[in-house]
Amino acid sequence: MKVSYSYLKEQFANPDAILADVKKLVLSGDFTLGNALEEFEKSLAEFLGSKFAVGVGTGTDALRLSLIAAGVKPGDEVITAVNTFYSTAAAIATVGAKPVFVDVTDDLLMDVSLIEKVITKKTKAIIPVHLHGTPVDMKKIIAIAEAHKLVVIEDSCQSLGAEVHGKKAGTFGLTGCFSLHPLKPLNVWGDAGVVVTDSETVRDRLHLLRDNGLKNRDECEEYAFNCRMDTLQAVVGNHLIKDLDKILDAKIENSKYYDKEFVSVKQIRIPPREKDVKRVYHNYVLIVEDRDKILVFLREKGISAKIHYPIPLHLQKASKYLSYKKGDFPVAEEQTEKIISLPVHQHLTQEQKEFVVKTVKEFYK
Amino acid sequence: MNSQNKSSGKCDSEKKDLQIRVPYIDFNAQYNEIKEEILKEITCVLEKGSFVLGKELVKFEKNFASYTGTKYALGVANGTDALFLVMKALDIGKGDEVITVPNTFIATAGAIVAAGAKPVFVDVKNDFNINPELIDNVVTKNTKAIIPVHLTGRVADMDSILEIAKKHKLHVIEDAAQSVGARYKGKRAGSFGIAAGFSLHPLKNLNAAGDAGLVTTNSGELHEKLVLLRNHGLKNRDECACWGYNSRLDCLQAVIANVKLKHLDKWTEKIREIANIYKDGLKSFVGKGIISVPVDHPFEEPVYHTFIIQCEKRDELQAFLFEKGIKTKIHYPIPIHLHEAASGLGYKKGDFPVAEQQAKIILSLPIYPEMSDEQVAIVIDEIKSFYGRFTLS
Repeated sequence: MKVSYSYLKEQFANPDAILADVKKLVLSGDFTLGNALEEFEKSLAEFLGSKFAVGVGTGTDALRLSLIAAGVKPGDEVITAVNTFYSTAAAIATVGAKPVFVDVTDDLLMDVSLIEKVITKKTKAIIPVHLHGTPVDMKKIIAIAEAHKLVVIEDSCQSLGAEVHGKKAGTFGLTGCFSLHPLKPLNVWGDAGVVVTDSETVRDRLHLLRDNGLKNRDECEEYAFNCRMDTLQAVVGNHLIKDLDKILDAKIENSKYYDKEFVSVKQIRIPPREKDVKRVYHNYVLIVEDRDKILVFLREKGISAKIHYPIPLHLQKASKYLSYKKGDFPVAEEQTEKIISLPVHQHLTQEQKEFVVKTVKEFYK
Repeated sequence: MNSQNKSSGKCDSEKKDLQIRVPYIDFNAQYNEIKEEILKEITCVLEKGSFVLGKELVKFEKNFASYTGTKYALGVANGTDALFLVMKALDIGKGDEVITVPNTFIATAGAIVAAGAKPVFVDVKNDFNINPELIDNVVTKNTKAIIPVHLTGRVADMDSILEIAKKHKLHVIEDAAQSVGARYKGKRAGSFGIAAGFSLHPLKNLNAAGDAGLVTTNSGELHEKLVLLRNHGLKNRDECACWGYNSRLDCLQAVIANVKLKHLDKWTEKIREIANIYKDGLKSFVGKGIISVPVDHPFEEPVYHTFIIQCEKRDELQAFLFEKGIKTKIHYPIPIHLHEAASGLGYKKGDFPVAEQQAKIILSLPIYPEMSDEQVAIVIDEIKSFYGRFTLS
């Protein structure tokens, strides 16, 4: 049986309703910062409980522009998790700041207890990463940030809809950054991203930063960038945001089923599942024995399992100048050899889920 | 909430309930001509679920490279990023200076600043392109590159620019955002410098249904660096060679542009015909010195992204045409060195007299392949009627 990681073909098998609206957009010519984008920004802000949402080119741009809006400058240091996707560190590095990594805990999230150890005079911001759909303990992060006068920018690219302390991930920091990449739960037909914030000043700055610094058609207030979310993608987003809760619920249900089945397998460690946290399972990640072998085994059986991510950021060539070495982040390093992500998307059938469970159990028998 | 730059002329049309006889651009007409082809391609992308860096993008990149006569074309998020990423790939940054013109779209200067370098402006000639004679004066030991802008769809004086660049060992990065398909001495825009940036913004001659851009280059080394920079510095799914950006051309936009690329030469020909009709229709005023129209040298084939006249009583003419249902624009009303963003660069009014004077008298007339002969005639007649009043009184 084939169980693919991606679900895009199923998701867009009947695109007629969306295409009808795309066609309307084409005829109106309202392509750049158009009405549908404004509508999408409002809906998303409302979904998250934020005052403002600003559509940008990508999730990476969301982080990059947030750092600039927060006043992070060349020479500053920004703390983040060592096991995140490249773009978190890249966003820091490309604004000229230095990424400073911290190790993670069992739940695959930044180890909050290690943050204060790496704070220096140059530290300007913390980027907690709500990886795989699990939110970081934001109360602790905010307390540290307040004590040291640091800005918090949440990398929520993988956690749209996740909740902690009864609030949505992405709404605790100065900004929350989201990606709408095709493989995200709220996805569009290409690259797009969103920044949410409660600060009007930050929102206004982001409006300038994403659109060449233009106050209006003819006046440029500051040199900036072009990273606008396409209105066409907002048209797609306006359709899919209606399905978002349903999609998240399906993934949560799939994950619960897996959890229940795998809890008894002694070679598998399920990351902790604290009760007062809403995880949205962007990836369903397990910590397992014989990872490389089971990965091959699953793939041979038609199950497309993945690793998020096989090399921690400090050991990437891009990090060489930061002078980290193997052994600096023991937990993350150990996890990279043991983590595996199983297909968890909303289009999985009961049969497929049972097949995944059966095959995993067969391997560890 | 969004008071920003919109691609449609909607705001103007809401002001008054006028009958628009000649819009500045007609998305409807273009879409109707090719909608079957485009819907087929979009459906294909959806069926495959191939949205990011898919085969469709590679196909379009190949076609675009072949169209411009370059070895490589690389899709990026937009025309601004195209210039920015080229400068990053060439290690142009802090402390460096990059020469360009003050009458271009703000993004040219924005890309230079975003790369960390300082924009240095040079005045333009009557054809709105950089005046090569003035470049030498501003070259310093920090100068790293010249960005000639092929404004209005006309390639800048590349022979002179390349010679100066060679003399001072400077890179030439073409801003070809407005000039896809334009020729200079037989060669296409985008094939002269170390690299060129193109835009596929909805208002461009070759356009997508949102933001998109391309870099063209003949350098394999530069191309490789750009491949990394546009996609997180990733060599493959798991290995990150350098910190990069996320600036990819959506496959969905690539298939749309790819369909249009097949029609581009035909559309360009139509645009050039319209330009000739304008020139012919307005020549009596040109003779009287009231209007000046663009002049093509025998070695040039501009693509008239904009058809800009320089005219007396510009603001009155624009208002008059608007009343008559004709949409015109000004590209651009404020030269770059006089924007608030440039305040730190130390320029002042009077530094670029040609560009400053042009900003007061330029007017872009509607020009697009779907314009009917009747619409072109309406524009000419109304301009005649406007100036006729003054001649009589």
